[in-house]
Amino acid sequence: MYKEVSFQSIFSLRAGSSLPQRSRKDIKQLVANARINTLIGKLVTTVFIAVFSGVVFLPLLISGVGSAVPRDIAFQGGVSAFLAVVLFLIVFLGLQMSTSFVSSKVVDVLSPLPLSKKEISRIMFLCFIRIFDIPLVAAAAIFLSVYFIIGGSVLGAVVAVVAIGVTEIFALALTTVSARFFYMRVTRAGGKSRLQTFLRFGFMFVWLLPTFVAYFIVNFAGQIVQWFAYLSQSFSSISQILALIYPFSYGFLVSYSTFFQGVKNTALGLSAIASIAYLVAAYYCLRWVTRTVRTIGVGGFTAGPREIVRDTLIIPQIAWVEIIRKDLRVASRSPSYASLFLLPVVQTAVLAITFSSFSQIGLSTAVGILVGISLITLLLPPTLLAMEGLGSAYTRHLPMKKTTMVTAKTVLSTITYMISLVVLSIVAICLGKNFLFILTLGMVDAFAIAAAIMLELSILLRKFWKEGFAVGNIYSRITTYIAILIPGYIVALIPIGCAVEVFFLAQPFFWPVFLATAMAEFIVMVAVVLHQK
Amino acid sequence: METVAVKVQDLVVSYGSFVAVENLSFTVKNGEIYGLLGPNGAGKTSTIKVLVGVLEPRAGNVQIYGTPLSDEVAAKSKIGYVPEEVVLLDSLTPREFFEFVASIRRLDREVVNSRLERFVSAFELKQYFDTPIAALSMGNKQKVAVVSALLHDPKLLILDEPLIGLDARSSKILKELVTFHAKRGGAVIFSTHIMEVAEKLCTRVAIINKGKIVGEGTVADLRKLVRTAEGSLEDIFLKVTEQEAGMQDMIRALEEE
Repeated sequence: MYKEVSFQSIFSLRAGSSLPQRSRKDIKQLVANARINTLIGKLVTTVFIAVFSGVVFLPLLISGVGSAVPRDIAFQGGVSAFLAVVLFLIVFLGLQMSTSFVSSKVVDVLSPLPLSKKEISRIMFLCFIRIFDIPLVAAAAIFLSVYFIIGGSVLGAVVAVVAIGVTEIFALALTTVSARFFYMRVTRAGGKSRLQTFLRFGFMFVWLLPTFVAYFIVNFAGQIVQWFAYLSQSFSSISQILALIYPFSYGFLVSYSTFFQGVKNTALGLSAIASIAYLVAAYYCLRWVTRTVRTIGVGGFTAGPREIVRDTLIIPQIAWVEIIRKDLRVASRSPSYASLFLLPVVQTAVLAITFSSFSQIGLSTAVGILVGISLITLLLPPTLLAMEGLGSAYTRHLPMKKTTMVTAKTVLSTITYMISLVVLSIVAICLGKNFLFILTLGMVDAFAIAAAIMLELSILLRKFWKEGFAVGNIYSRITTYIAILIPGYIVALIPIGCAVEVFFLAQPFFWPVFLATAMAEFIVMVAVVLHQK
Repeated sequence: METVAVKVQDLVVSYGSFVAVENLSFTVKNGEIYGLLGPNGAGKTSTIKVLVGVLEPRAGNVQIYGTPLSDEVAAKSKIGYVPEEVVLLDSLTPREFFEFVASIRRLDREVVNSRLERFVSAFELKQYFDTPIAALSMGNKQKVAVVSALLHDPKLLILDEPLIGLDARSSKILKELVTFHAKRGGAVIFSTHIMEVAEKLCTRVAIINKGKIVGEGTVADLRKLVRTAEGSLEDIFLKVTEQEAGMQDMIRALEEE
């Protein structure tokens, strides 16, 4: 049954009906790929949790965050940050898979079988838990192992188990709430009103929130721990308020039950009370999750109310504009696509925050930031083509030119890059820094990025035009994926590389060389795309 | 003058080592409703998928109104297609889906809206116009596929099991539309398992078995082929596809259980 869940999540919803036209061997391969993809998702989440635990707890193992910060306070920050990351990473993983789970398609397989409703509900719940099994077990195991390595007490270990358990239950509840709401209000509700459109795009950002928070915490782990420690040390009143807030309450409690010296009675009392309250809340959350998942087993959810259709007017667009519009519509209804789609913007926001630590935006800073944005942006084209897999068995019969497809996806990817640039500039202005240099550099680099995107798309189209763009085709073949990304990265980095070299040899030629290389790449790729049949 | 709408020569389709269609050749002329019949797995859908450019053949030539399939955009522009398994862009609503299809086909806004209004009304789709396709019933999804196949007033209609899931009213309307299309000089390739429909609707039929055409022509031609003066298309079909022998014994055995 779990295989069916994986298959539905990875392929059935995204690969369209391209499966029946394959040989039996290919289909077996696809099913195997579906399971491997699911496993990879779980393992990547686990690796992130493990890496983050290293980032947070390693300084404590060696010598503490710094001489100015006591070990117990650093530990409070570390535990709180770790719990927050576990929460968001599990939610992020869950959102990728659970919407199709909630859509009750999988239950169609079970309902005709001679099983009672109770049995079906139990199977559904076990399947739901299996989506998260490895990260859930790994997070608890990692946390406890690290805790004992640091030199934890038995009492502290008990509190740590409770803390990680509560966190995992909160993550499951948050995933279920989001997936259920998304399914009922966004995926199934439809509607053409502005409110519905706004709702859908609002949700694109909601899906990004766990990504952003997880990404933010991973990027700034050290700073967060230090910041937290600074807060706790400087303002005792704030630490008392924090003791009431999840996950800080568990941070305090685990720390107090590990380092018995310097316990503040008020903070201990508050964190203990708050932790018990969160434990009770987790109990009710678990009951709710169990009940909700079982609801899927006995008939699923119904869609939200339909809007009254007033007319049947359609507004056709120029073909490439329509492909962009379609992609945005599809992305606004798919958490996995939406989050990937806006990843460059998240990346920019995170990079923008690091601005605060720079006194000036020099060449190395600007180049570093732009390279970061470029590399993330170039992950987009394969995703945008994978979106075609949704209905490629049907759309491939439409008279669509390769040039049209490449134009649409290039424009969309480049716009995403430009949005990142705008976000960066706004942050620079807000921080009172010179934004013109990075903006100009980014605008020129946009030509190279567009060329790299066109190259990636041309390689992909050459390979998959006849075969269809099912996600399994692109993502399951890691070698193919890498073979597409590497040329893209090279094309994107050549102008920057040349310009930086020239900067050290003959500074006045920096801009002409940068502009000429980027433009040359762009013109060559436009010519290649226009000559595609 | 009769125009050849579809010309298929020595078509071969294979999936790995399995050959689904073997040296298939046939022509369909304007004004014809050409039925493709055959048991499950005979190669009908594979043939159709090649005709609409969804599947790459291993060998053979296909021309749509004289345009080779290699000239993808020109050939595909002349075709309206309803697939056997309706998997559209499920997260879009019918309105958004029609917008997508009309834009890709570069259709004039006024013309397409006028046609769309008539079809949506005929197939009673209006109330579902802003509901995501994923949330529609199989029959309504089929209607969306039928309407988008008709939007651009194609010269050639290729319909793979188009009546599956349709209610009686929509089924009747579609059959009338198909007949009218052929009368106006268009061509239709129509795959079905319902012999009565094929017998009433199709001007000519091809019976495919194990990837090869085992009988082609009008129902009268096929009667001659199996040397019988009477009998329905179903009887002829069972004879030509060699499924008749032993069938009665099988039925009897099942009834005795």
